[in-house]
Amino acid sequence: MSHQLNRREFLIKTGISVAAANFVTGLPSLGFANSATVAPKKRLVFVFSPNGIIPKHFWPDETGENFQLKRILQPLADFKNRMMTLHGVCNKIKGDGDGHMRGMGCLLTGIELFPGDIQGGSDTPAGWSQGISLDQRLKNHLQADPATQTRFGSLEFGVMVPDRADTWTRMSYAGPNQPVAPIDDPYQMFDKLYGQTKNRELLASVLDGLSEDFRKVENLVSEEDRHLLQDHLAMVREVEQELKTELVRKEQPSDVGHAVPQLPPNVAEQNDNIPTITKMQMDMLVNSFAADFARIATFQITNSVGQPRMRWLGIDEGHHSLSHEPDTNEESYEKLIKINTWYCEQVAYLAKRLDETPEPGGEGSMLDNTSIIWTNELGKGNSHTRNNIPFVVVGGGLGWKMGRAMKFEDIPHNRLLMSISEAMGYPEKTFGNPNFCGDGPLAGLS
Amino acid sequence: MPVCTITPLRLATIALAILFAVVDAYELRGEEVVAEAKAGDAKQRGQAVYEKSCASCHGKEGEGVEEFYADPLVGDLTVAGLTEVIAETMPEDDPESCLGDDAAAVAAYIHKSFYSKVVQITAEPPRVRLARLTGNQLRQSLADLYAASVGVVWPTHDHGIKGLYFNGPSKNNDHKRLERSDPVIDFDFGHRGPGEGIDPKDFSITWRGAIRPDATGNYEIVVDSTCSFVCYLGSYERKFIDNHVQSGDKTEFRRSITLSAGRVYPIRIDFVQRKRKTEQPPAKIRLAWKPPYGTEQVIPSRNLVAVSSPATFALQTKLPADDRSYGYARGITVDKQWDESTTNAALEFAQFAAEELWPAYQRRHRNDSNENRGRLRAFLVELATTAFRGPLQDEDRNLYIDKQVDATEDDVEAIKRALLISLKSPRFLYPMLDSDRSKSQRVANRLALTLHDSLPTDKWLVQAVRSNQLEEETQVREAARRLVYDYRTRGKVRELMYQWLNLDQASEMAKDEEKFAGFDQELVGDLRASLDAFLDEVIWGESGDYRQLFLADWTFTNQRLATFYGETWNPLDLHGQGLRRSVSDSERRIGVLSHPYLMGRLSYHNQTSPIHRGIFLIRYVLGRTLLPPQDAFTPLAPDLHPDLTTRERVELQTSPKNCQICHEKINGLGFTLENFDAVGRYRPMERGREVNAAGSYTTREGEKISFNGPGQLAGFLATSEDAQRAFVNRTFQHFVKQPVAAFGPDALDQLIESFKNNNYSIRELLIEIAVVAATDLQEKPNGQENSDESPAKQT
Repeated sequence: MSHQLNRREFLIKTGISVAAANFVTGLPSLGFANSATVAPKKRLVFVFSPNGIIPKHFWPDETGENFQLKRILQPLADFKNRMMTLHGVCNKIKGDGDGHMRGMGCLLTGIELFPGDIQGGSDTPAGWSQGISLDQRLKNHLQADPATQTRFGSLEFGVMVPDRADTWTRMSYAGPNQPVAPIDDPYQMFDKLYGQTKNRELLASVLDGLSEDFRKVENLVSEEDRHLLQDHLAMVREVEQELKTELVRKEQPSDVGHAVPQLPPNVAEQNDNIPTITKMQMDMLVNSFAADFARIATFQITNSVGQPRMRWLGIDEGHHSLSHEPDTNEESYEKLIKINTWYCEQVAYLAKRLDETPEPGGEGSMLDNTSIIWTNELGKGNSHTRNNIPFVVVGGGLGWKMGRAMKFEDIPHNRLLMSISEAMGYPEKTFGNPNFCGDGPLAGLS
Repeated sequence: MPVCTITPLRLATIALAILFAVVDAYELRGEEVVAEAKAGDAKQRGQAVYEKSCASCHGKEGEGVEEFYADPLVGDLTVAGLTEVIAETMPEDDPESCLGDDAAAVAAYIHKSFYSKVVQITAEPPRVRLARLTGNQLRQSLADLYAASVGVVWPTHDHGIKGLYFNGPSKNNDHKRLERSDPVIDFDFGHRGPGEGIDPKDFSITWRGAIRPDATGNYEIVVDSTCSFVCYLGSYERKFIDNHVQSGDKTEFRRSITLSAGRVYPIRIDFVQRKRKTEQPPAKIRLAWKPPYGTEQVIPSRNLVAVSSPATFALQTKLPADDRSYGYARGITVDKQWDESTTNAALEFAQFAAEELWPAYQRRHRNDSNENRGRLRAFLVELATTAFRGPLQDEDRNLYIDKQVDATEDDVEAIKRALLISLKSPRFLYPMLDSDRSKSQRVANRLALTLHDSLPTDKWLVQAVRSNQLEEETQVREAARRLVYDYRTRGKVRELMYQWLNLDQASEMAKDEEKFAGFDQELVGDLRASLDAFLDEVIWGESGDYRQLFLADWTFTNQRLATFYGETWNPLDLHGQGLRRSVSDSERRIGVLSHPYLMGRLSYHNQTSPIHRGIFLIRYVLGRTLLPPQDAFTPLAPDLHPDLTTRERVELQTSPKNCQICHEKINGLGFTLENFDAVGRYRPMERGREVNAAGSYTTREGEKISFNGPGQLAGFLATSEDAQRAFVNRTFQHFVKQPVAAFGPDALDQLIESFKNNNYSIRELLIEIAVVAATDLQEKPNGQENSDESPAKQT
């Protein structure tokens, strides 16, 4: 039986990643003549905002390269040529759990939730997702290969995620029944990323004072006992010297990737601090990518059914409550546009920060090698539909042909997840529930 | 060289050799009576013989010679005993050449010059040495630094855990249907629910109480639950295992944490059977742990405390092992690994201080002025004052607090800075650096260090320091008495007992499955629990009498133990539950010595080991010194000598003269326990013959005592001065971590005397030890005055 393998099938069958495929087929490696073994870094960030969007003011009317940005997407105007909207991608996962739960728990996993005891506003109760999420799968791939391994592999950022582990507050899964909690306290994230370095700095700065006091307390003990204190002091001095050398080295321009960012002090986790916290977290995300701490990230602003009150926009009601209002409620409708525009501004800020940062050890900006995928658990808030999930890609990490508004015909989102995985260099036969992967990755993205 | 069968090394032999090899050459056991050498002549003769025949192998001063006999020539034989050994065995190449008067002269010379303890003490008079905190002291001090503002739980008999049962998910009092103390958490409510008036499809339970670990180490907490639950540990708000969502078939949840003996950790479990449209699983929950010393088990009632507990700090930073070359943990060296662990410990504490203590402090002081971040400064001064065991002088405050707060606008970072420098300061790490403190402060510092391994933080104690009420010995004794009645002291006593029984490093105990069917790890876990309960009852029960450790004819038992060990292990109360007191058996039970957890350890996997038992009795119970064996020996295989009893095999193997120097002492004691087989079960017969449990012991004073069987051995040990001396000395060392002779040449004798006068009460002994440690304060060097007026300077 003769069967012509296409490129994708060939790669899957032979287990060769796209990055490696260039060697196998003898194709010239793109612009890396001098360092044939070093593939350009590919990075990915999933940014989540909740409760659906207002489609009329979100989706471009046109398809292809000539499209107009609607109100909500206006903040991305500077990146119009480096972005892509993907209309027609639908989360078709059924089974247990209400719309928000499945919208969240199946968004990056593409598979049903387990039966469980969490009862949503409708439908049957459910538990955690039955499978791994794409971000964690990609992280595992990257971490398994010494060439792409990083300190953390992936980072899970959050902004004001309620202190409650449930199906509405988790989108990342390390495996079935293994939700990954996002870190929404910027100081905690700082500790995870820079805690060790920062602590060494603190230690270095307090040791000097300590030495003085050591000499003072020597007078409190007998001659014989002084030896132990002197040994101790000598050790303190030695550690102090080592720290100095180490910290001077870190301040060298060549080590810019390890620079420790400055966070504003005493920012409490409160609703009104959402803008500040979002900025702090995004700055740390950019820094940690620059330092190559990780190549995959999720950035979860609040949660599915999130209730931020955007008082800084003059909106006192919670987002989720507003999202249930009918479209005919003009006041709410307008507020929802504003809220979503604010989310888009955050995505634009992240894109801008990445674009301003030169690719360490490479060419162009970090945005050239990073894709931001902005998404949501619903297509539209008041209908709870999971059709037409707002997927917007910004940046060049996936190597797709950007500057286009794409329109698909009601395709399962599993196929988009497969496209992303393939573009990252890890083609999969299926991802999540195989029943939704039939026709493979989406065509026409590259 | 006498003939010995040296068979290939086996694990058991190596273990035996190691047991021997720990020569407690440095242990100072107080004074000994030295027979004065009668004449200068004899002395010169002894010296001449020594230099001619002994020094080449033992060194000029008995210090040892690496290639011949490396160990120093020290020990506790009398001159007469030493004479006998020399006459019979020395010099090794020609024992006949040094006999009679020569042997006596050289023995007297050696004894007086370097061999005896008295000489060693005189040569280097022991003193109270400066020491840093040991690992355990650091752990406990940080726990009390946290506890200073919230307090600790007092000992209680209220075991189990309090359960509040609600109809529906709400924890509202109106929905409460049941409130009771549950002995353990191990329930299968099925589809029936927990009780009347509670909807089996829609209910919730909150358990609140505390767990009390028996030993310091890593505990794996295991919750098996078919329903949603959240488990809090360390504080009622510190989430430990979060299973808010019941999902799929996942029912097992595990997480590890390091816990300390002597501490009580609040635990709370919120359990919910949620009403739902779909089918519910039957409701089941079980709270278990895998302790550092045993197998997984439901957390027993005796480790649960059914009272509300304040939050507790549990240090997770790994700490390096302390120097134990003196036979007890001492902080007498510093190195980088230790230094780094203090940094990590400080940072770990700082995080809890910032997240838990600081918000609580702000709530308590919300009406105080906060000018120039005064509240933060006051908070840090409070912590540093506790950590430094006394008030801060102005310049200390400047260095440890103000400089650190001024260095950053961020409060959390300021807390981190201040605690990092404070907890790495010699003022915290060296508890005895307090000669500039008031007398009452120093007394409190010593009492807390001695009895709790920790800081003086109890409110009444801090108050007593402020009002200078710890200056009189009666006041000190009263304070010690209050501190002894505390879980922290109990934790420290438990460690002492495990060291005294040489069980502190014990690993898994496995026995021949065919010979001892039913002796499994669950049973070993029960045995340990039985021993713990026995020790608690003897020490903390009504009499608290040390002699009961040898004489008690009862123990603690449960159904499984009774089934395995037979009717003398039946519980006294047949209708009770769990671990409880057994019936008496004055024939076959001799307190802790006959306890299978000890007898089983002092055995091989299929046979007893009279040698291990004898060595244990000599070194640990009687506190005598033994030389290491000349080589590693494998015990004779029972199969090769089918008609010999264990006793006969040991006698055969240790019959050579050189072996007998030590084995005469070892075997005589070990044989008396031959009635207890390799799993500690009583046996009247071995290999079809009646067990011969006759034995003997020669005291330090040279008196030979014979026993026939374990009962007489126990009777002897209960009143033996050697045993009392060893126990008091070990207790002192464990609690004070200094040699007792450093507190005066008579300190040990006086403690032994008061031990006797107090009817051998272990609690009273602890009090007296604490009083000695707290009242014999080293003065400031160079005659500087104590600043007794310092309370007035308190900030």
